[in-house]
Amino acid sequence: MGEDDVTLRIDSISKSFGDFSAVDDLSFNVRAGRIFGFLGPNGAGKTTTIRMIVGITIPDSGAIELFGKRINGTAQDHIGYLPEERGLYKKTKVVDQLRYFAALKNVPQKEADRRIDRWMDRMALSEWKNKKTTDLSKGMQQKIQFIATVLHDPDLLILDEPFSGLDPVNVEFMIDVLAEFRQSHKTVIFSTHLMETAERLCHDILLVNKGKKVLAGSLREVKESYGRNRVAIRVDGAHDLLNDFPGVESIEEKADEKILSMRPDADPQELLRSLVSSGATVTKFAYVEPTLNDIFIEQIGGAK
Amino acid sequence: MRKLLAVVKHEYRKVVMRWSFLIGTLLFPLLGLGFAVVPALIFSIKGEPTRIVIVDREGKLGPRIRSNLSPEKIAQKQAEALKRTSFEPTVDPKQSADSLKNLTEGFVFMPFDANGKSDEQIRSELNSMAAEKKIDAYLIVPSDLSGKFEFLSRKAGDFVASGMLEDAVNDAVRSERLTQANISESTLKQINQAAEIETKAIDEHGREKNSDALLAASFVIGLMIYISLTIYGQVILGAVVEEKETRIAEILFSSARPFELMLGKLVGVGLAGLTQLGIWVTSLALLVGFLMLQTDLAPFLAGAPHITPLMVGYFLLFFLLGYFLFASIFALIGSMVTTVQEGGQFAFPPIMVMLIGFYFSFAVIRDPSSPLSFWVSIAPFWAPITMPVRILAETPPFWQIALSISVNAVAICGMVWLCARVYRVGMLMYGKRATLPEVWKWIREA
Repeated sequence: MGEDDVTLRIDSISKSFGDFSAVDDLSFNVRAGRIFGFLGPNGAGKTTTIRMIVGITIPDSGAIELFGKRINGTAQDHIGYLPEERGLYKKTKVVDQLRYFAALKNVPQKEADRRIDRWMDRMALSEWKNKKTTDLSKGMQQKIQFIATVLHDPDLLILDEPFSGLDPVNVEFMIDVLAEFRQSHKTVIFSTHLMETAERLCHDILLVNKGKKVLAGSLREVKESYGRNRVAIRVDGAHDLLNDFPGVESIEEKADEKILSMRPDADPQELLRSLVSSGATVTKFAYVEPTLNDIFIEQIGGAK
Repeated sequence: MRKLLAVVKHEYRKVVMRWSFLIGTLLFPLLGLGFAVVPALIFSIKGEPTRIVIVDREGKLGPRIRSNLSPEKIAQKQAEALKRTSFEPTVDPKQSADSLKNLTEGFVFMPFDANGKSDEQIRSELNSMAAEKKIDAYLIVPSDLSGKFEFLSRKAGDFVASGMLEDAVNDAVRSERLTQANISESTLKQINQAAEIETKAIDEHGREKNSDALLAASFVIGLMIYISLTIYGQVILGAVVEEKETRIAEILFSSARPFELMLGKLVGVGLAGLTQLGIWVTSLALLVGFLMLQTDLAPFLAGAPHITPLMVGYFLLFFLLGYFLFASIFALIGSMVTTVQEGGQFAFPPIMVMLIGFYFSFAVIRDPSSPLSFWVSIAPFWAPITMPVRILAETPPFWQIALSISVNAVAICGMVWLCARVYRVGMLMYGKRATLPEVWKWIREA
């Protein structure tokens, strides 16, 4: 992807509260048409970073550019933000709240009404339009909050833990919606601590801890950089060969296979050749990709 | 600007489109009306006439008492009593007497032949008549004026009837004594005539105005502004806490600047307050106008203070000044605390300040041109309550009104500036209530 496709450019931003440094010299780019996973443990500085992107707070230093321009008040109209801690007015009708949120994003009322109807229909919530929040179930409220996030047809969508509290059917539905966004070349930043979800959805990931970048890149690159030296092997005999082979750091016994961890400089192909020439029967020999969860635990656990 | 308008519209609708607004708007005038009218209505309910037997063996006092208890006499007495307590001394007693005659329950005198019966006999006969509900009460007049009158009634709780009877008896006894002393009743009346004092103030143009009515009107204006400020301050507090508690603030702040959001909220709720005050003022004006057309009550209203449209303009302006001053404080409190209950505790100090302002308005009513009245009607926070009272009681020179408006406008700018800084930080602080040193830090660092 070329430079032109960069939607959001974060250039060494820092933010501290008193003596506490929440974000420390953080830089990254988010590309258009991709889902960007913003990962990290609690207190890593995710929410602080997101708040700076959406213009709630201002970085102490560094720059944030959206579509090549420094963010300002009008940038907010192009961003849809679903905070982790979110709510609705308790005693206001659903349709009135949505109209208000749309008006705050400069959507003309007629256009807003059309979009509200379309989304409510799509979410099968049409009959709840004139109800108050207190009449809605928690899942319905979450859907309404999501509609509020996308009513102004944002180019950049920032979702902080969007699936917490949703049932599996609705999670699938939301994933479909996100896929549509991606197809219309919009950008999604998706913050979560659920590695399974991130693994399934994200094209690019950024892992932060204690306000600093730990690793970044496409999911493919990240996994490959970790996965090259783990091998799943199913073989009869050659037990000693495996144990003595130079470069094998550890062997993890599974029910019917072994997982070998090799040193970065060791060549698994060499091992395969040795096994075959020793006469052992190799029924499985495969690189094992680490899960994002493994990477997360290794990186964050080690840093602690 | 469009976003600001969106906030104003949203906040205005949120207040006005609720049942509580409609009920509050209707309830206040109804309560006022209720306090004025209901007691009068209740007391005007006619009881059954009291059937009474008057036993008078001497035959001197009986006829006097009977005549004193006639409907004409009773009505006349009440009219005189009214004249003594009324704000309006120019009421024509005769006219009032006519209208009051209908309201008065009467006495019906029942025949009873006491000749040749002993006291005991009379009592037991009358008691049995009362028991059979043929009569309601009886009065036995003693043979000599210093003796005791005996009044027995089945309706001893009817204090109106008892009071009338007592008056009638006293008057009768007094006239009888006067007759014995050879003094004519009309001479006595002249001697007893109280001096009439009409309390009137003189306004700056040398015109007379009625001070009783002024006092009442000034008090009402002060009270109305004080109550509105308290109510709408609490509305702001609740709205801010709701947005913080439900975390809507986070979505709002990602859509518009905190200053726009806060200002929009203050203006929106303020307009709702003006709407309510407007409805009250208009309906009051209509009510007064309607009553003026009812000839019966016109004399009561003729002495009402003259309120010019300019004064109404001043009241609304000072309401707005006070509203913005206090509402921004309530917004600040709302963004500091975590729940409405906590906010309620912190709302106490500003409400105390308002209450003190309301108390100062009494001092202003008593002496509108004293140095104290001058200072409290200029001082920020108090002027919005005391200045309208002062304007009504005795309009001060224009430069003082202008000074008061300017001082308070500057105070508003300072408060809004201060509150916007606390608001933008406080609204995103979850979990615990901010301490004052923390708030001070936000103000300095924001």
